[in-house]
Amino acid sequence: MSPIETRSQYQEELDRLEASALDGLDMVSTALERTLEAVEQQDVELAQLVVADDDRIDGRYLEVHQSLITLLATQSPVATDLRLISALLHVLKSVERMGDQCVNICKMIPLSGNEPPSDREMVKLILSMGGQTRALISQAKRAFAGRDVELARDLVHQDDMVDELNRDCFRLALEIGDDADRREWAMTMLLAARAIERIADNAVDIGEQVAFVVTGLFREFEDASHPAG
Amino acid sequence: MDSRHPTQSPAMTEPNPEPQASAPQRGPAISIAGSSAPRPIKKSRDVGNVALKGLNAYYGANHAVRGVSLDFDADRVTAIIGPSGCGKSTMVRCINRMHEEISGARASGQVLLDGLDLYDKAIDVVAVRRAVGMVFQKPNPFPTMSVIDNVTAGLRLTGASRGELEDRGREALVGAGLWDEVKDRLKAPGAGLSGGQQQRLCIARALAVEPEVLLMDEPCSALDPVATLKIEELIGELKQRVTVVIVTHNMQQAARVADTTVFMLSGELVEVGPTDKIFTNPDDDRTEQYVTGKFG
Repeated sequence: MSPIETRSQYQEELDRLEASALDGLDMVSTALERTLEAVEQQDVELAQLVVADDDRIDGRYLEVHQSLITLLATQSPVATDLRLISALLHVLKSVERMGDQCVNICKMIPLSGNEPPSDREMVKLILSMGGQTRALISQAKRAFAGRDVELARDLVHQDDMVDELNRDCFRLALEIGDDADRREWAMTMLLAARAIERIADNAVDIGEQVAFVVTGLFREFEDASHPAG
Repeated sequence: MDSRHPTQSPAMTEPNPEPQASAPQRGPAISIAGSSAPRPIKKSRDVGNVALKGLNAYYGANHAVRGVSLDFDADRVTAIIGPSGCGKSTMVRCINRMHEEISGARASGQVLLDGLDLYDKAIDVVAVRRAVGMVFQKPNPFPTMSVIDNVTAGLRLTGASRGELEDRGREALVGAGLWDEVKDRLKAPGAGLSGGQQQRLCIARALAVEPEVLLMDEPCSALDPVATLKIEELIGELKQRVTVVIVTHNMQQAARVADTTVFMLSGELVEVGPTDKIFTNPDDDRTEQYVTGKFG
């Protein structure tokens, strides 16, 4: 086969769309960072900013999704290119869902009041979950960009830590005491913890797409309905 | 085998001449010359399996096909893809011994049809080309013949009766998906049909002699998209009755019609596998580069 490279414009467009989709993970990471700050500070205005800014994430989803569909329709991608586009569509969906989870958390902040009867230990757990989840998002992006299956698989172990912190939150909520306001606040924080835990799961989903792009085989790293052991 | 310039089959040459009046006996799909027990015409799809074993083909000093071993299974459509000059058409033309018609061309190795070596010295080349039909890039109906005469041209060489000619001509036109379009103008010139209809007429002509294998060398490259899709639909139906081998430069066509796809490069077989695998996750990097169009 001659070494003459062809379809350079198509390749450039595919590269651009991959970069754009992965940049969506940075947008989500920023949204989560602000969400955590809003939770810690009970900052309603910052929470409202996160909600409003989710339109940017949704816009990125729509823009890249449409461009990928156009590539499918006009360029007939196959083999690795086809797997990459399929994976990017999954990544985009995960990005959009992660953004929505941040919105879900931020919409709860006004409900918990401007000066809620917060529990410092529980807030610390939530912040720890959020920090760990931001690290997962970053790792998922690096794994995808580098086509690094081992790094992608490691997301499962990092996600286990998030799950453990989520369980700790639940235990703390059970021990929060009999005060009705504190119990209501704790329930709200449990929902926030659950949302963060789902964001971490989305990061693992992206890792699974890395393995699909590289190997051509899609397998869940962990089967939630049939957990190992 | 190592055959050079054997007897030419009048029905399968390209461009096609008119069939000759001195027809051989109508007989089996394939027979060994002089045999008193010819094989019966195929009635079911337990026949039509083609196997290439160490096939080499040359044009003078040019080694065009290099030691290809490959099976074409009955009831399946196999697409051959690869860049120009990779030997795919040459390989296919070896299956019905068309390759050796070219001056200076020769082939070695084995081509087996249901275990029978088609290059055996005792094999009747005309019978080979009856058992292994071929459709070419450009539709090539006999220009002075009517639609029905085009379809039955090969049959008439076998001495079939008038009634049999009509029946099998109609069956072939139905099989080629052309009957409804031409049933009212069977006596009109075949050359008056559209390009897509002419190609299906050529397919009908090939089907009329009940081949076991149908070779298609870029059968849609001269057709518009609608005519192309009709041929592709037809290929899906034809595999129920003949083993289909199609050479195509159109990779989406290969992806649409083929059960198995073969990738060739520089005369060698690089990869063969289920079509969905070749187009989603090929094993060989060269296949990947070719099907994704990164290199050509």
